[in-house]
Amino acid sequence: MAGNFWQSSHFQQWILDKQDLIRERQQDLVVLNDEEYQKIFIFFANFIQVLGEHLKLRQQVIATATVYFKRFYARNSLKNIDPLLLAPTCVFLASKVEEFGQISNNRMISTCQTVVKTKFGYAYNQEFPYRSNHLLECEFYLLENLDCCLIVYQPYRPLLQMIQDIGHEDQLLSLAWRLVNDSLRTDVCLLYPPYQIAIGCLQIACVIQQKDGLKSWFAELNVDIDKIQEITRYIINLFEMWKLYDEKKEIQSLLAKMPKPKLQSNR
Amino acid sequence: MENKLNRYEKIAFLGEGQFATVYKARNKDTDEMVAVKKIKIGSIQEARDGINRTALREIKLLQELKHQNIIGLLDVFGYASNISLVFDFMDTDLEVIIKDTRIVFTSGHIKAYTLMTLLGLEYLHDNWILHRDLKPNNLLVNKQGILKIADFGLAKTFGSPNRIYTHQVVTRWYRSPELLFGARKYGTGVDMWAVGCIIAELLLRVPFLPGESDLDQLTRIFQALGSPTEETWPGLTSLQDYIQFKPFPGTPLKMIFTAAPDDLLDLLSVLLCLNPCKRPNCKTTLKMPYFSNRPPPSKGSQLPLPSNLLDPEISQQCVSTRRLFHANFLGNKRGKMIVLNC
Repeated sequence: MAGNFWQSSHFQQWILDKQDLIRERQQDLVVLNDEEYQKIFIFFANFIQVLGEHLKLRQQVIATATVYFKRFYARNSLKNIDPLLLAPTCVFLASKVEEFGQISNNRMISTCQTVVKTKFGYAYNQEFPYRSNHLLECEFYLLENLDCCLIVYQPYRPLLQMIQDIGHEDQLLSLAWRLVNDSLRTDVCLLYPPYQIAIGCLQIACVIQQKDGLKSWFAELNVDIDKIQEITRYIINLFEMWKLYDEKKEIQSLLAKMPKPKLQSNR
Repeated sequence: MENKLNRYEKIAFLGEGQFATVYKARNKDTDEMVAVKKIKIGSIQEARDGINRTALREIKLLQELKHQNIIGLLDVFGYASNISLVFDFMDTDLEVIIKDTRIVFTSGHIKAYTLMTLLGLEYLHDNWILHRDLKPNNLLVNKQGILKIADFGLAKTFGSPNRIYTHQVVTRWYRSPELLFGARKYGTGVDMWAVGCIIAELLLRVPFLPGESDLDQLTRIFQALGSPTEETWPGLTSLQDYIQFKPFPGTPLKMIFTAAPDDLLDLLSVLLCLNPCKRPNCKTTLKMPYFSNRPPPSKGSQLPLPSNLLDPEISQQCVSTRRLFHANFLGNKRGKMIVLNC
């Protein structure tokens, strides 16, 4: 929806505070360290991305699903719902909210089975364990934990507007676009408004492509530069970590270490 | 979510249709009256698709909208594959008020209803949302005389260029000529037309253009307002379902709405413009002299209420045709619905 961001649930309820995030994650961070926690979220962001591509979803739908996923765990421990179930549930709900045709429950489950087997065999030795009834039950739980806030603003549209303002810069756009995709592997979508994320990604893209001529364009922006610096720091830290990280080797032990739902409820 | 089930105490059954059942309920925490719309699970196939799409559309839009003249979504709860939406409780709707022959409208009443409808709609359009199903029984009214636009099951965001929309929207009597001619690209004009039809109905106390088929609908429109031509409406003949009508001269609005003042006739004539591009948006409409001329719109407390709400005895025992949510959502195409109001 192209409504008013400043009056949206996204701005009013879902721009979170860094301290809140740390507090909410405390339970999980007893078991995992910061970096391990982030690696698990990178893994599931990739899982959502691959699911979306298999279902031929637009990037907007994939991004919305990823934000749902991150919002859920901003309020819940990983042990509340297995992320392997929540991830497809987010895709399922996002595809309906974004009015993207009909993805049947069965197709969703069978896509999960295929994707887990063919693309994520290095993480899971076993078959995708969930069935449609799990997905449907999880969908309600997700909707409630999102406080029914379903419309998510993404950095893609402000990015397009800024590129238009700069003038035709196709290479710059495609790099910045990919950086926005990468930013979904960090916490920035929970902490900053999308237009700031777009500016941050555009700035990194300019540095990489050595677009020094755009310095004056940035200088004229009426925006909190400190926030932009924080965003670029998050993304650069992600790249630093990626350099030394081999997901294929590490993920199984990380997933084993991850806090899990208890199979038998103690309640 | 299960905890929320007990928060609401069912008080009365308000209506039932194909897609939802509506109850009047009391929030036990706050003692507030609310309307609970329980979405039915349709076919097994539908149940397998999880949360109902129409309900989801209402949730996602209403969660972002806060306006005095837009129905408030207060809560959502569910269990199993069952979902309920909790709304502001509204005592009646404009259709019931219009049909109540004991009510006499003053100019101030009509201006108040028109104003509240346009203010709510302006807010929607500012947020790039088309309602697409405006009609008197989607305009809910409470005892304080506040009108709120309800039922967003057909609402849609707009504004993306070249987006193709379905033209099978809006209950026929309030459907604009471009929709009837199969236009797949349309805008706020479809809602403005519907507002024109609703104002006309406030004046006439019966539906202005009660077509019995889509073709009959167009015939009635042109009989009343004259047939359009490619000159008065450029692009008309290239609409998907365009058909040539015999030329009607149309009737001057003054002859149809004999009691209406000139400033209101001016308003009607632009809202009921056949060419959608010539219909003004809400902002322009609200600046028309009608709204600043005397008499002022009636205050909420001065607005009439249907007799069943005024007389407690009647409202306790009487079977009325009152309903809360519009027939389309409840799955009833456009016919009246008999609802127990106990």
